[in-house]
Amino acid sequence: MSLQFLSPIYLLGLLAAGIPVLIHLLTRRQQKHIRFSAVYLLSQSRQRSIRRSTPNRLLLLLLRCLAILCFSLALAHPIFSFTGPQSLLPESPSATVFILDDSFSMSAATKTGGSLFHSAAEKFGTLAKSIRKETSYAVVSGSAEARVWKGWADSGESVGKLISGSVASFQTTSMGRAIAEAVHLLDETSQPEKRIVIFTDLQKNGWTQGDLPEFSSGDSYKIQIVDFSALQAQPNRAAIESVSVDQEFLTNTRIVRVRAETRNLSKTQPLAQLAVSLWTHDKKLSEGMIDLPSQTLVARDFSFPQPGGEPVEGYVEIQEDGLMPDNRRYFTFQPDQTIKVLVVDGDPKTVEHQSESFYVERALNPFSVALSNIEPTVSTLNELPQRTIMDYSVVILCNVRELPLGFEIELERYVLHGGALLVALGDQVDPKYYNEKLGSLLPVTLETILTVPPDQDAFHFALEESGHRALNVFTGQPLLEMRDIQFHSIYDVKPREDAASSIPMRFSNGSPALVESDLGKGKILLFTSSLDRDWNNFPIQPTFLPWLQRWVKYSAHSLESLSHQDLLVSQPLKRWQEGLPGTTLFVQMPGGKIVRPPQSTDEILFRDTTHPGVYRVYQMAKEENPGAQEPVETVVPALPEGTELAGTFTVNVDTGESDPEKIPLAEIQKLLGNLDVELIPVDELDKSTAPQEGFPFTTPLLLLVSGFLFWEGFLVRRE
Amino acid sequence: MNPQDTFEYDPQILARISSLKLQAMGLVEGILTGHHRSHHKGSSVEFAEYKDYTPGDEIRHIDWKVVGKTDKYHVKQFEQTTNLKCTILFDASGSMGYVSSHDRGLSKIDYARTLVAALSFLLLKQFDAVGLTLFNDKVVSHIPPRSKPSHFQHLLHGLASVEPGGVTRIQDVIGGLVERLPGRSMLILVSDLLTREKTLEHTLRLLRSRELEVILFQVLHPDEVSLPFAGDIVFESLEDDPSVGLDPLDVREEYRGEIQRQIAHYRIICESLGINYVFLETSTPLEQGLSYFLLKRKSQLKQ
Repeated sequence: MSLQFLSPIYLLGLLAAGIPVLIHLLTRRQQKHIRFSAVYLLSQSRQRSIRRSTPNRLLLLLLRCLAILCFSLALAHPIFSFTGPQSLLPESPSATVFILDDSFSMSAATKTGGSLFHSAAEKFGTLAKSIRKETSYAVVSGSAEARVWKGWADSGESVGKLISGSVASFQTTSMGRAIAEAVHLLDETSQPEKRIVIFTDLQKNGWTQGDLPEFSSGDSYKIQIVDFSALQAQPNRAAIESVSVDQEFLTNTRIVRVRAETRNLSKTQPLAQLAVSLWTHDKKLSEGMIDLPSQTLVARDFSFPQPGGEPVEGYVEIQEDGLMPDNRRYFTFQPDQTIKVLVVDGDPKTVEHQSESFYVERALNPFSVALSNIEPTVSTLNELPQRTIMDYSVVILCNVRELPLGFEIELERYVLHGGALLVALGDQVDPKYYNEKLGSLLPVTLETILTVPPDQDAFHFALEESGHRALNVFTGQPLLEMRDIQFHSIYDVKPREDAASSIPMRFSNGSPALVESDLGKGKILLFTSSLDRDWNNFPIQPTFLPWLQRWVKYSAHSLESLSHQDLLVSQPLKRWQEGLPGTTLFVQMPGGKIVRPPQSTDEILFRDTTHPGVYRVYQMAKEENPGAQEPVETVVPALPEGTELAGTFTVNVDTGESDPEKIPLAEIQKLLGNLDVELIPVDELDKSTAPQEGFPFTTPLLLLVSGFLFWEGFLVRRE
Repeated sequence: MNPQDTFEYDPQILARISSLKLQAMGLVEGILTGHHRSHHKGSSVEFAEYKDYTPGDEIRHIDWKVVGKTDKYHVKQFEQTTNLKCTILFDASGSMGYVSSHDRGLSKIDYARTLVAALSFLLLKQFDAVGLTLFNDKVVSHIPPRSKPSHFQHLLHGLASVEPGGVTRIQDVIGGLVERLPGRSMLILVSDLLTREKTLEHTLRLLRSRELEVILFQVLHPDEVSLPFAGDIVFESLEDDPSVGLDPLDVREEYRGEIQRQIAHYRIICESLGINYVFLETSTPLEQGLSYFLLKRKSQLKQ
């Protein structure tokens, strides 16, 4: 049973009950005592007197005081309820670990305007104040991080401020990891009673068997789960599950197409005319309406022209519902990453298709207009001195006899600065010149030409499924087709002892088909056959186009674009291209904060992806002091001079957390085995949050007031 | 105990009584004496002692038998006797001790003392024997009737020793006393008659049946008649009644009616029994009360 007051300020009115007492004391007539002889006559007279009733002043005083007291209590709106507030704090000394679910489902709005997490933090704050000294407690977050907010020894005051000042994260729930952490903490203490109190919205996503610790039959942890889901103002109706961006192909205009897939999370209620809008660079570009039947995924396409070819950053948003973080999904897109390729034709012919570069040019740009992201330029050897090779990402030498005088030095500098060189051989090639002049570029020496007689089986690619990034697309049918390609002539090569190289492709006789080597920042590829039909039938095979394009993109470091990394919250940014270890990177986070990731050699470059949004990565254009990177992550106030945008990547929330379905107690009990689990709805934890559930005492008190006043008036009238 | 300390005897009153007596002597002594004589023939004088004859003594009082035997002249002295024995019953109960807080005059007990003293003096002056009995619920002290002038001092001492207290039980006291009272004597009852007893009439009738001449003085303070108090008052009883807290204004009329009814009731009873009833308020001057009484007695005797 409990009695609460909605307006306790009016309880100050109880002090007014002293006023009648004061007046009574001030106006009280002095009672005299007289010793008298005929007292028995006075008694008889009083009994006979009609006005024998002396006004009972004390009764009057009592009635007036009671009337004031009842009126003050009535103003304070007393609420009486039979079910008292349930206590989470035991009387006996104990060790308690509080798990505060700070996953993004807890950021759902409540009826009072705050968030579920805010309510949970407030509840914890009031609870922490009443924790007795002999009760030790720790606090663990219930999101995927399972962070220990407060250990046993930490000060309770600081953690109270920390929690009350924090907001729900964008991570998913991981109750299993949090419970495992809590059990780990409880195992450290010697308190006999061990308890885990979980403040959560019971989002089903976070309860997985895999993360939970193994409980033995001797474990006697008492688990109390306070369910805050009842405070949620409205259910989470829909979430954007994915956004994909691509550029429309085979059109003359550069149209970017954005496809957003939105799911209706409700099992029963369809959503009609849900507004979906597209925003780029903080401007609304387009808006549409979609109808979502229950439990279905509906895609909505947006298209917009991007003639400049600049990178696109933006997000797709649906109208508000109970949970905000999953209503928006970010994307970035680099529309045109044109790789300029210089194709040097060593055997040009007047008939176009007989030229050495004919198939190469067609393979790189099959539609004669600049629609693919590779832009080939064909040059003869005579034209070569007029070209500035530094403008090109890749230089392909097709069956070149020998380079113009001194050009090999320029080529070497080009590769050292990051250029890619693809060398294809042929009948025009002078092995002596290659071995002598291009010795610093090529890791192998050209030996002899191996030619298969017409009556014998030609050479083939001895190709298996490869993990090489340029070849990993060739599986299944394309791989079989690759193996069928016939090579009549190939160059036999011999590795140089002083040069490192790798051989990603070989021929059926064991000779290298492709030799790959690095030089400086650049890459050199040597194909030991020709890129026209003189020595093989490769150029007319369907696999020639992807093969050549992939090797070009690979050598130009553009196979794995940074923009392709669409991460979820807390997923780390991985190395997206080789050659980065020495590069000083800066990451600009969505809020504008700029950090320099720690120097490391592992795959992971950046871990602090805690907020959804678009992250920009900058790198130093010119590395002045490559070894000076700090071993820890540092925050820098502004980007240093000389940095250039290397790319962008997005971080979005995991929509697995959006599911409004709650886990029932029976399922939790099943997961936690034989542990004592109690589920407490938050409104039962403290009735003060829901006082309307009790019996209001205002009217009975006002009736009492009128009753007292009536009685008082009756007595005064009799007097 | 020095009687002068407690007995606040006002010599002026006594002097007034004395003068009143002197005035009254001529008016009433003969009536009283004659009256008594007629009632008590043959019991006049008693021999007291002999004394030597001195010139001036009446010759007829010389005892000639003694002269014959001794040859000396001795005069027979006779004790001055009266034919009236009077017993004064003085109410010494608690109610007689009422002292008004606002009246600086004689208190009720003092008024009654003075009255009794005056009556005693008056009677002794007439050579009547006077006794004094103090009572409340029982007899507190008893002084038998004597007629010697010096007896007055005893009476004064007895009066001085009165300490009001206890409950009034007139019936019990008189019932126990009546057998011992000399027949045909006089009984003066001085009381406020403030008692719950309803049998006073029966008691008075008993006295009258013993052929006693009864004079009843009811002495009340004006406060007890008019109840002049105001305010919130707790009345504590001087006897054994429980205290009563009230505003006198509420019961004044009723009280006054009640006390007047009581006075009238006693007056009627006394008249019907041939008892002299005198109502005295302490505000009434004693001379006035006594002279009124004597005049009334005189008129009664004339009839």
